Amino acid sequence: MKVYITGMGALTSLGLDTHSTFEGLLENRSGIQHFPEWEKYNGLHSHLGAPVAPYDIMKVPRSARRSMSRMSEMATLATMQALGQADLTDESCHSERTLIIMGSTSGSPHTLEAYFKQLFERGGPQGQLSTSFFKVMNHSVPANVASAIGYRGALLSPSSACSTSSQAMILGWELLQTGLYDRVIAGGADELHYMSASIFDIVLAASRNFNNRPQQASRPFDKDRDGLVVSEGAGVLVMETEACIAKRGGLPLAEVKGGAYFCDGSHMSQSSGEAMQKTMELALARAGLKTSDIDYINAHATGTLQGDAEEAMTIERLFGRETPVSSLKGNLGHSLAACGAVEAIASVQMIKNEVIVPTRNLDNPDAVCLGLDLVREKRAKKLSHVLSNNFAFGGMNTSLVISALT
Amino acid sequence: MDQAIVSRVNELMHQGFEIPTENLIATARLKEDLGLDSLDAVDMLVHLEEKLGSRIEGERLMHVKTLGDVYVLVQETLTPPTV
Repeated sequence: MKVYITGMGALTSLGLDTHSTFEGLLENRSGIQHFPEWEKYNGLHSHLGAPVAPYDIMKVPRSARRSMSRMSEMATLATMQALGQADLTDESCHSERTLIIMGSTSGSPHTLEAYFKQLFERGGPQGQLSTSFFKVMNHSVPANVASAIGYRGALLSPSSACSTSSQAMILGWELLQTGLYDRVIAGGADELHYMSASIFDIVLAASRNFNNRPQQASRPFDKDRDGLVVSEGAGVLVMETEACIAKRGGLPLAEVKGGAYFCDGSHMSQSSGEAMQKTMELALARAGLKTSDIDYINAHATGTLQGDAEEAMTIERLFGRETPVSSLKGNLGHSLAACGAVEAIASVQMIKNEVIVPTRNLDNPDAVCLGLDLVREKRAKKLSHVLSNNFAFGGMNTSLVISALT
Repeated sequence: MDQAIVSRVNELMHQGFEIPTENLIATARLKEDLGLDSLDAVDMLVHLEEKLGSRIEGERLMHVKTLGDVYVLVQETLTPPTV
């Protein structure tokens, strides 16, 4: 069963919608900033982040807003954008044939910190607001989105850290294949907090050497890369079956050809090339494509020493030098649960604009990446099929194939 | 009713629940007129306690229907009736 993307919405460190984000990518801008206030945290060496600019959430009624943390706010706005583009702002998206699949890495870290700080200070729950829990529960993001748009339908909240939203899209694609649903609204969101940086910092995977040069931080595939930079944001896509689109007269933007997720079960933080390869092969098989059909690979490449090297070697093993590769993390930072959807959206935009966004800060490719066709300058290219990778702690691997309309 | 209490409560209702000041009259019903639900009622209690620095028994909320009832609740909390 053919599945198409009909709507996209995003808030990123480069813009408050998909258009401004893509403009920022084409202009090769960086959303990364120095956070001097993070220097006070003992043991935290990475003081970099890529925040989303201030946005207007007041269009959402207070009754829905009161239980939202920043990640839910951004996911709600992204969902509204996606539904608007898909022309699904009427009652038709509220149906037992629709499924929302969204998640985040965890509940709101800002709220968790405030909640436990007060809990410990007061020796109990005295003074806690009733709405605090709704900001930290595991399905906070989709539940708040549903509340904001008055959604009545099926809802799932998978959580797999940095592969959350790519997994949501692939799971959506799988469930659409079953015929149980006509439409999936898939995505993910995360909010910037020093705790997110510290999670990577403690395993030596966050950038430390560029605190005074934030625009040069996050250097996927570069020999001087020293780790990722955490960011925040939300990405949401509306995916619909061919029959559903035909019935309602929707406009497809691109096809979700297939995808796969695969856990290597070997190490919590070290990525496995073998599992990456298996995931990409599964995704290609499900899409009915060969490696030679892929015109561009949107790599996960976050700028970590081990992860980038493993992904580069795996891509080289599978695709050789024939397929152009780039990563968007040098521009956007790593938005964790949002990155898969945001990168899928950028992939659709690259397909539609016939251009490949290069990897920012890739000044000197690492020796281990020299076997790849690394895109370092904006490159015009007609793209029929794009493979987008995302990997996460816990041995999570996802690969998604997005194709041009034929 | 002590106007200082009315002002403090109204300020809280305006800032905490975004209720326009012109709607903050003693006869306004919390649910029907001001749009507050059970979660808001609990949070109103928390805000009141924080603002007043005094504990309010949650059960007393069961009898609060109007904004005027909130004024009375606050007044009685700050100056408990003498026996």
